[in-house]
Amino acid sequence: MPEGHILEVREVTKRFGGVTAVNHCSLVVQPRKIYGLIGPNGSGKTTLFNCITGLERRDEGEIRFKDERIDGLKPHQVACRGIGRTFQIIRVFPELTALENLLVVSRQGGLAGNRQRAMELLEFVKLDRLQNEYAGNLSYGQQKLLEFIRVLMTDPELILLDEPAAGVNPTLLNDLLDAIRKLRAQGKTILIVEHDMKVVMGLCEMVFVLDYGEKIAEGPPGVIQTNERVIEAYFGR
Amino acid sequence: MMAGILWLLLAVMGGLAVLPLFASGYIISFTIQIFMWIALAGSWNLISGFTGYVSFGHVAFFGIGSYTGALLVTKAGWHWLPASLAGCVPAAALALLIGYPCLRLKGPYFAIAMLGLNEVVRALVSYFESFTGGGSGISLPPILSIAPVYYAMGGVAIAVTLLTYRIITSRFGLRLLSIREDEIAAETMGINTSLMKLYAFLLSALFPGIVGGLYAWYSSYIEPLSVFPLLTTITMIIMCLFGGKGTVLGPVLGAVLLSVFQELVWARFIFVHQAIFGALIVGVVLLMPRGIMGVLQERYRLPRAV
Repeated sequence: MPEGHILEVREVTKRFGGVTAVNHCSLVVQPRKIYGLIGPNGSGKTTLFNCITGLERRDEGEIRFKDERIDGLKPHQVACRGIGRTFQIIRVFPELTALENLLVVSRQGGLAGNRQRAMELLEFVKLDRLQNEYAGNLSYGQQKLLEFIRVLMTDPELILLDEPAAGVNPTLLNDLLDAIRKLRAQGKTILIVEHDMKVVMGLCEMVFVLDYGEKIAEGPPGVIQTNERVIEAYFGR
Repeated sequence: MMAGILWLLLAVMGGLAVLPLFASGYIISFTIQIFMWIALAGSWNLISGFTGYVSFGHVAFFGIGSYTGALLVTKAGWHWLPASLAGCVPAAALALLIGYPCLRLKGPYFAIAMLGLNEVVRALVSYFESFTGGGSGISLPPILSIAPVYYAMGGVAIAVTLLTYRIITSRFGLRLLSIREDEIAAETMGINTSLMKLYAFLLSALFPGIVGGLYAWYSSYIEPLSVFPLLTTITMIIMCLFGGKGTVLGPVLGAVLLSVFQELVWARFIFVHQAIFGALIVGVVLLMPRGIMGVLQERYRLPRAV
């Protein structure tokens, strides 16, 4: 087993009826790096995220986080071990205010004690003036940012982002990418599902490619771009 | 704004505290009923208003509390007050027993399971005739003075409302709301949603148990049909929705306004009062789905703690 990895997915398989969404997939994630997880639609990226975070139970294989098995744990247990995630479709709490969306996920200390950290995060993405607005009234981009800082509120070691760039305008996107790089500098590990190749190539140090639930390639972005199997998966033979 | 509301509440409570000294028996009984509805609607709010798990069987806790209180008074010779308070014990036990499996059900399935629960409990109470009196019910000694019941029921109403305030200003309250908003997201963010729901369900069952015991003493006679009616659950739901689900004062407002409205309409339009009441409910659900407090909160930016 490689030394010092934070997440290890070993031979994980997930089937839905006759469809094998994830097929004997293995990957190893080292701490303090930004990883990309790419693949055509339906290649099993989100299902793999769901298996890691406990929303789906894997049928076969093992998932380890910091050398402890986490497959079989409930989602809130996985989260409390230090894995945070965002969703492809925004899932803020619409009838809670922006501030409450952050306070609700705090785990220790009183609400008052967490307020300062929550306000810092709101400022970080320039939402501090909207702290008392219902999250459901925010714009799409603002909700996306809110969901992003809600993950940070729990201070996870490993952050899984499911298409953070989708539907975000270019200015906002740059802010978001900066924020992700800052997190890495703070010592976080990040795994991103992303469709936008430019984002993946510019941000990730290592990329895993899935196709029909199988990992078909892994490596630095530059190498991946020229990999024949990857090109084939995306553009056909 | 908050200070104004607080003063208004204190004034109302001062008035209510001295009410039995001069008011007529009718007014006192009517106020007891309002207290009862505040406690029941407020309890329903704790599980359903906060987490969105609609309980259609909440009257089961009321009924089981009624029978506990009545049996302790008639068979064990208890004083009515501890007998009523003891009603919360079987209510809580039932909530744990039923909540653990049923709170895993989502949406309409939970509602239907709770509806079934109430029918089962009622059938059991009817069946164990030697113990519960079956369909012929239980008669309690007639009460000599209703003022003590008035204060006891008022106390429960205040307790429920204060507890709601305490919850909504806590992280626990926000967590319950997050379950209503998006349970999967809440769970993924590290919130133990199963446990939170069970706590809320337990709290929401305690007070109907006590209220049931007080009701049994106050009405001097109970039978399965009188303490397990579906209509009681529906009234709790309507009052809570009308006043504003997931708020502190919503169930209070809903209970007061709808009780008064019902009484007025009933007195003037004996034959069509249910139709008028029904039309009002349809109107409220269509025009202000978040209830009075929901609308006020959004329009005037009131803090959630109201």
